[in-house]
Amino acid sequence: MSDIKTVLDETPFQTAGPFLHIGCLPNAINIEGIFDTDLGVKPFANRDYDKFIKITGSVFDGNGKALDDIMLESWQSDENGVYSPECGFARFVPDTLTKKFNLYTLKPGFINDIDGKAQSPHILLSISSRGLNMTLNTRIYFEGDDLTSDPLLSIVRNSRNDVSSLVAKKIDEDIFLFDIFLQGDKETIFLDI
Amino acid sequence: MVEGLIKRNPKKHPQLNFPDYKSSCSRAPKNKKISFSSTSTEISGPVFNKNIIGKLDNDLTLNFSKNNTLPIGHKIIVFGRISDQFSNPIEGALIEIWQANAAGKYLHHNDNNTAPIDPNFAGCGRSITCSKGYYEFITIQPGPYPYPNRGIEWRPMHIHFSVFGKSFGQRLITQMYFEGDPLINSCPMVNSIPDEKAKQSLTSTLDTSRSNTQKLLSYKFDIILRGTNQTFFENRKEGL
Repeated sequence: MSDIKTVLDETPFQTAGPFLHIGCLPNAINIEGIFDTDLGVKPFANRDYDKFIKITGSVFDGNGKALDDIMLESWQSDENGVYSPECGFARFVPDTLTKKFNLYTLKPGFINDIDGKAQSPHILLSISSRGLNMTLNTRIYFEGDDLTSDPLLSIVRNSRNDVSSLVAKKIDEDIFLFDIFLQGDKETIFLDI
Repeated sequence: MVEGLIKRNPKKHPQLNFPDYKSSCSRAPKNKKISFSSTSTEISGPVFNKNIIGKLDNDLTLNFSKNNTLPIGHKIIVFGRISDQFSNPIEGALIEIWQANAAGKYLHHNDNNTAPIDPNFAGCGRSITCSKGYYEFITIQPGPYPYPNRGIEWRPMHIHFSVFGKSFGQRLITQMYFEGDPLINSCPMVNSIPDEKAKQSLTSTLDTSRSNTQKLLSYKFDIILRGTNQTFFENRKEGL
């Protein structure tokens, strides 16, 4: 016997708008003295920098313009595929001049999931900005990893032919490129998480 | 058994492509999102320690004031309860808010409105919910302001909310409106939500219970984050 409980509606999203830095990254726009540091500046605060990979890229709108008034957030496991609530979260914005974001983090490991299936190494990435009525979510997988049996990628392959928008390209030792296209021929695959 | 986040109902959330909100036209993706069962990636999430919260982080009237000068405007309390879809309170949820000052001006280089900056108000605050799921902020009633959309339009008074529950899949960014504001009904961002009841859930309600003791009007804004369902595997044991 199980209790039948009323399921309430989730509170709806609204756009984060153009001024999201005030609440989410105040120090980044020189609102200083309120919070010591902005949230999510380092995803693994206690780990050595030399163990990190760099993921870089831009977020392009439908006109091909690289955006800088957006916020990105990432969530990931450690190098052993383990999630822990104390680490693995990062929050970052593109540089206002180059329009590129840089995420310095551990390369996540293969994840042995609760249902017994293994997920390939990946990072969950979210994008919030003006013009987006809801936060968008996607995943970053890595070129060079075994992506053949990842459960989510299998679902994507079944509905779209191309999973390449979810795979970061290796452009140098420990450096990956992950551009995001909000619209157009190269529109990134977004997830209903 | 595995846990899974309850699927989002598209009618209860804004449409991404909503031409009445002009800047959605070049930013909203055109393809359908890919749906899948929750994995440990979405079920897990960052949890923040209460010790990151400073004493004045939830008092926007004091956390940027110079020489104890209060910001200009109508001081209010904004409070509420954070629960999941089964009404279970969420303890330890991090809430970040941001807003315009009483004149409708943001302390931000991209705000081109001619309204004045308040040197004692940043419009930035955060808090973590208590064991019963409650949060509270003291702030200034934000002003409405004009912005370019289909010509110049007016945003209703609002406060932006960013919320972290226990799962990254519960992550929510939204806006709270104020009961009785006549600008709510014509706001395209509000109207991008198809369901009427869902729209209304973003409007806080006036609460006068503390108007005598604290001489402040309060606005109550409850937030509901996604719940998780326990579902059986199909290959469950015989006889169960």
